Amino acid sequence: MVESIIETNGLTRSYGDICALKPLDLQVPEGEWLSVMGHSGSGKSTLMNLVGGLDRPTAGSLRVGGEDLLALSEDGLARFRREFVGIIFQQHHMVPYLTAVENVMLAQYFHSVPDEAEARSALERVGLGHRLKNRPGELSGGEQQRVCIARAIINSPKLLLGDEPTGNLDHKSTVMVMELLKELRAEERFTVIMVTHNQDVAAWGDRTIYLDDGVLVREERMKS
Amino acid sequence: MLFRIIKNSFLKRPKAVLLVFLSIAMGAAVATAFLGIAGEISHKMALELRSYGANILLEPSAAQGGGFLREDDLPKIKTVFWKYNITGFTPYLFGVADISAGGKKERGVISGTWFAKQLEVPGEDSSVQGIKGIAPWWDVQGRWPEDADEAIVGATMAKRLGVVAGKELDATVGGRTRRFHVVGVVTTGGYEEEQLFAPLITVQSLLQRQGKVSRVLVSALTVPMDDFGKKDPASMTKEEYEKWYCTAYVTSVAKNVEEVMAGSRAKPIWQIASAEGSLLKKLNSVMLFLTVLALVSSATAVSTSLMASMSERSPEIALMKAVGADRLQISAIFVGETLIISIAGGVVGYLLGNQLAGIISRTVFNSTIASPLWLFPTAIISAFVVAIAGSVVPLRRALLIEPVRVLKG
Repeated sequence: MVESIIETNGLTRSYGDICALKPLDLQVPEGEWLSVMGHSGSGKSTLMNLVGGLDRPTAGSLRVGGEDLLALSEDGLARFRREFVGIIFQQHHMVPYLTAVENVMLAQYFHSVPDEAEARSALERVGLGHRLKNRPGELSGGEQQRVCIARAIINSPKLLLGDEPTGNLDHKSTVMVMELLKELRAEERFTVIMVTHNQDVAAWGDRTIYLDDGVLVREERMKS
Repeated sequence: MLFRIIKNSFLKRPKAVLLVFLSIAMGAAVATAFLGIAGEISHKMALELRSYGANILLEPSAAQGGGFLREDDLPKIKTVFWKYNITGFTPYLFGVADISAGGKKERGVISGTWFAKQLEVPGEDSSVQGIKGIAPWWDVQGRWPEDADEAIVGATMAKRLGVVAGKELDATVGGRTRRFHVVGVVTTGGYEEEQLFAPLITVQSLLQRQGKVSRVLVSALTVPMDDFGKKDPASMTKEEYEKWYCTAYVTSVAKNVEEVMAGSRAKPIWQIASAEGSLLKKLNSVMLFLTVLALVSSATAVSTSLMASMSERSPEIALMKAVGADRLQISAIFVGETLIISIAGGVVGYLLGNQLAGIISRTVFNSTIASPLWLFPTAIISAFVVAIAGSVVPLRRALLIEPVRVLKG
């Protein structure tokens, strides 16, 4: 039996009177690609932020990779993020004054030691070997997202989180990014949690859970 | 990588960097200028204050029975340890004489003194000593005496006797009469207006006190008295005494002079010495206060600029945190940036401050100043202090940024 990389029990997140995520019990086996779907405000991103150590739950328990995230300090969560998690945002956030390769090296720098050759190789893997020295403003949306993928995988994370990573991309770029993620997952064997609105994107996963108003309402396993 | 981040951050935001740089440079410049001229101002002010009059009085000691000091010993004053601090001195020999002029006659004080005597001391620089140097506020209507039979008369005495410059008067002591040609009438605002002033050698002859003087007034540059300076030298340890002796307190300079004048007792004229000390202390406090004020203003400007910059950079900071930067790593980037700017700001501030100090010195004191060696590290440290103080609040705000809120899609 495959061990769970993520285990939540009664995981809750409230913002004042608003409960963004109602008590959630969830297990994610290691290596699974879990798609999270739901309308805006359904609690998808909240779940992703909690699992990624970017936010703290109001109640419940949360273990990721055997680590009790509630017990970690601010700096402990930072260490967890740099050692365990790779994150891809919808708006492909990058440091605007650094080149593509430097943006990838930034994650290495916070993790351990920057290695330019390794960062170049990561960008070559995502098909951006010719854009190493370009700054974010000189790259298309799809290219920027691929830089973010390279940055997310550079430290060999056990868990890759995507918050609508294709939300700002056209169909062609979306397919390109998803194929790239699939390839990388096959090579690196990381677990994926992908938040999306798009049913086609969700279909790339092994399992899809549906959230509505902070509640897990449905679960669907994809046919392989 | 840290260097790359900082370098590219500078290149991307030149205006913000320039603003912080200017704030730091201005703070360092003002601190450099103020601290640079503080020592010089104290020195110049001390010199200016010497025009208030002598601050040390040398009299015959009680052991001498209220006798006289020896004129021969006077040149030794220019050979003492604190000789360069002694800006001038003048001897006096007092006597009572019958003074008459134009049919009027009265009994009054005759003072023999040096007006502007060229003093040659073997092994020392030639100098001019006398009343002209240590009492520049004396207002002489006419001119100063130059010959042995020339004299100046205090304004009050001159009025009573009805003498003016160009007249003659006689002074008689013990049946010996000496005729003086009055070359000036002096107004001092003090007891000197009741006296007749003539060359020392002439008065010594008239009073039959050859080679003798009654007292010596000494004008010396001194440092303000502090608690240590006020201690009784007799109760000091050897080390304390050495420290006291080698500090230009008015008491230690007086002691120094006393040692070379046989049978003398030197006393600070506290009215003058304490007023000077108090003034110099206040002046130094004002300079220090202005320096601190300039640095605080500069740190505030740095803080404001960095706060604006932090708001602009919050997505970048949030992203760094999201990919795993901890507080130390975030701090290293922003403190690193600020410190690099502060080094540049410190160097430029030092150069500007030196120029500013020169301008102030030329304008106020009509002189140039030499920049002390300690001023450069002081400027750099001032810049660091400004940078660090100005970074505290913005950095704290940066560390509180929550990636979830800033990076929200």
